[in-house]
Amino acid sequence: MRHTQEHTVTALVHNEHGTLNRMISLFRRRGFSLSSLAVGDCEEPGLSRMSIVVNADDNMLRQCVMQLEKAVDVVSVESLDGKEYVHRELAFIQVEAPPEKRSEIIDISRVLNCEIVHLGLKTMTVQVVANARKIQGLIRLLEPYGIKKIVRSGTVAMSAEE
Amino acid sequence: MEALALHGVDIIFGYPGGVVLPLYDEMTRWPAIQHVLVRHEQCAAHMADGYARSTGKVGVCLATSGPGATNLVTGIATAIMDSIPMVAITGQVNSWAVGTDAFQETDIQGITIPITKHNYLVMDVDDLPHALVEAFHLANTGRKGPVLVDIPKDVFTAMSSVPFPTEIVRRGYRAAAATNDTAIETAAKLVAEAKKPVIIAGAGVVWSETHQALADLAAKADLPIINSLLGLGSIDRQNERSLGMMGMHGEAVGTLAVQEADLLIGIGIRFDDRLTGKVAGFAPNAKIIHFDLDPSEFAKVVETTLCVPGDLSETLPAFTAAVAPKVNDEWWAKLRGWQEEFPLVIPDSAGLMARHVLQLLDRTTNSDAIISTDVGQHQMWTAQLYRFKRPFQWLSSGGLGTMGFGFPAAMGAAFANPKQEVWAVVGDGGFQMTLQELQTAVEHKLNVKICLVNNGYLGMVRQWQELFFENRYSHVAMGSPDYGKLAEAYGVTFFRCSTREDLESTFQQARAADGPVLVEFLVEMEENVFPMVPAGKANDQVQMDPGLPNDKAPMGIPA
Ligand SMILES: Cc1ncc(C[n+]2csc(CCOP(=O)(O)OP(=O)(O)O)c2C)c(N)n1
Ligand SMILES: [Mg+2]
Repeated sequence: MRHTQEHTVTALVHNEHGTLNRMISLFRRRGFSLSSLAVGDCEEPGLSRMSIVVNADDNMLRQCVMQLEKAVDVVSVESLDGKEYVHRELAFIQVEAPPEKRSEIIDISRVLNCEIVHLGLKTMTVQVVANARKIQGLIRLLEPYGIKKIVRSGTVAMSAEE
Repeated sequence: MEALALHGVDIIFGYPGGVVLPLYDEMTRWPAIQHVLVRHEQCAAHMADGYARSTGKVGVCLATSGPGATNLVTGIATAIMDSIPMVAITGQVNSWAVGTDAFQETDIQGITIPITKHNYLVMDVDDLPHALVEAFHLANTGRKGPVLVDIPKDVFTAMSSVPFPTEIVRRGYRAAAATNDTAIETAAKLVAEAKKPVIIAGAGVVWSETHQALADLAAKADLPIINSLLGLGSIDRQNERSLGMMGMHGEAVGTLAVQEADLLIGIGIRFDDRLTGKVAGFAPNAKIIHFDLDPSEFAKVVETTLCVPGDLSETLPAFTAAVAPKVNDEWWAKLRGWQEEFPLVIPDSAGLMARHVLQLLDRTTNSDAIISTDVGQHQMWTAQLYRFKRPFQWLSSGGLGTMGFGFPAAMGAAFANPKQEVWAVVGDGGFQMTLQELQTAVEHKLNVKICLVNNGYLGMVRQWQELFFENRYSHVAMGSPDYGKLAEAYGVTFFRCSTREDLESTFQQARAADGPVLVEFLVEMEENVFPMVPAGKANDQVQMDPGLPNDKAPMGIPA
């Protein structure tokens, strides 16, 4: 087995009919394993920026960048490996929270800089903005209380100013 | 229609249906653009493909929505695998009905995403001029390929005052990678150091029309040139430095040369598995230089010592200028030795064999005809035996290996080159996939000749069953209709030949006849294509032709 790990790549793409479909198709067809994909508007109208986390060895990563660059939809690609960059993911974690457990959960959230965004009769929803590893850690801490639902945004990333 | 005229399109291959009726109506007002009504949309795509492969220009095909569009799919997939410039236009249901499972609606944009260079669904007529012009631009620049434009019925009829753009600037679209002078200099140094250099030239040379630069390069540095299947024609086969094709059924000398080479220069090739064999055993002693305009091909398959990016029309002349003149006498002595020891075998049998037919096809047409093939044994024998002279003379589905391609592709070439002799070499299997186009050929009195190599089998599959499945023939015997009666029914001139004696006169009569001609050659049923590198094996496992004199036909490479 070749050694694979997660790499973060961003791509500036034309925002046209079928663009997202074509990007996904490219990943599926070439067998690139996607850990996360997030897309949104960017500073230029008509273009979007994608943040892509791909699980690959060095050669696959190179292929992935090359294939992205070749795609007619893609304006430019930036591989963030070895660069200074910021990256965050947003997650909502809905956890069972009977009144007697609430304060414990609030404590955990506070220590980890999370926000309680909803408080219900039986549940609480914790919002966390962090890197993927930290989110995983929080999930582990909340598991004993009973997690009902998790929603994650996928990682967004940006290279630091040059 | 205006967009087509703007791009100098003189012919389109298509088939009408409900949603393209407005376009067909408009066609009556554009007499300069010929429309060829095919009998199956797959063949419209293959004809557009054959038109492109024989001219270097963009081929255009047209189909209605739903089944019309899906029938194009095999032809589009064939084109993308071989990087053929093609624009496919499909009708779509009315824009307001898209997404409602309307009658004859199919998501052809979604279906063709993996098999087009790019595609469009044009929902607003104001976007149409740009989409059409851009489609031609993308199809025909850089690494060429098919582009599909899906147009809803109401968009066909709507009017737009938006003019056609005169120039396409698409951000981020690089037709070719930027050139790199240092890489070219390094490549020239490697050539100077090499003792056993070889070039493998592919279709990139054909499409960039750099065959002259290639010949100059070979002459200046005394380099042998091997071709990939689709690279045939990039060097005159009768040039003294051409060693013919290599690959699964390539000539032995090419395979042996690459095994022993200390420098391999791949030019406009993509190191397909049918060429490399098992990658681990490919060119084991060679440094590899790779010239290509598409950087995503670099190190995709083989590890490369040096990549030379850029359009071959820039890099090849620069490389030729940079290499120092040299001679490789010792190496050539070895190559000539292999050529002598392992030639292609043409058996002197009593019975008619496919190889007799295809060798004579080459001789009788003076190696000058446009040749299209279908897929199978006859394709490999044609590639081995026809001595192609120039680019755009050889049409064959290399990447996808599409049976049914040969005849319609030859028709596309015949429409594009009415003054030239055009032959389709087809097997009894593949011909039966698309022979309905005989009617189209008859209606246009098209000068296309069909060399039907009838061995009564799906020969290539039979060969594998013989060699790798212990002779267990499973569903490879192919029945055929009486082709004489079939030709008569269609009104096609017909000849049949089953002996070596009649071969020459049959060809003479067929060549003299006008319009579509079907020639059936009844050949030896169990003839095999050699040399052969079994699938998945390394090239040193090449099996030589058992028909070589006994002491010269070992399994594997001689020590
Ligand atoms: C559409 C399609 N179906 C199946 C195949 C697999 N295949 C490759 S060669 C071959 C046999 C072709 O037989 P024939 O046309 O008689 O040519 P021959 O090999 O006998 O010369 C087949 C079935 C293919 N290449 N394309
Ligand atoms: Mg056959």
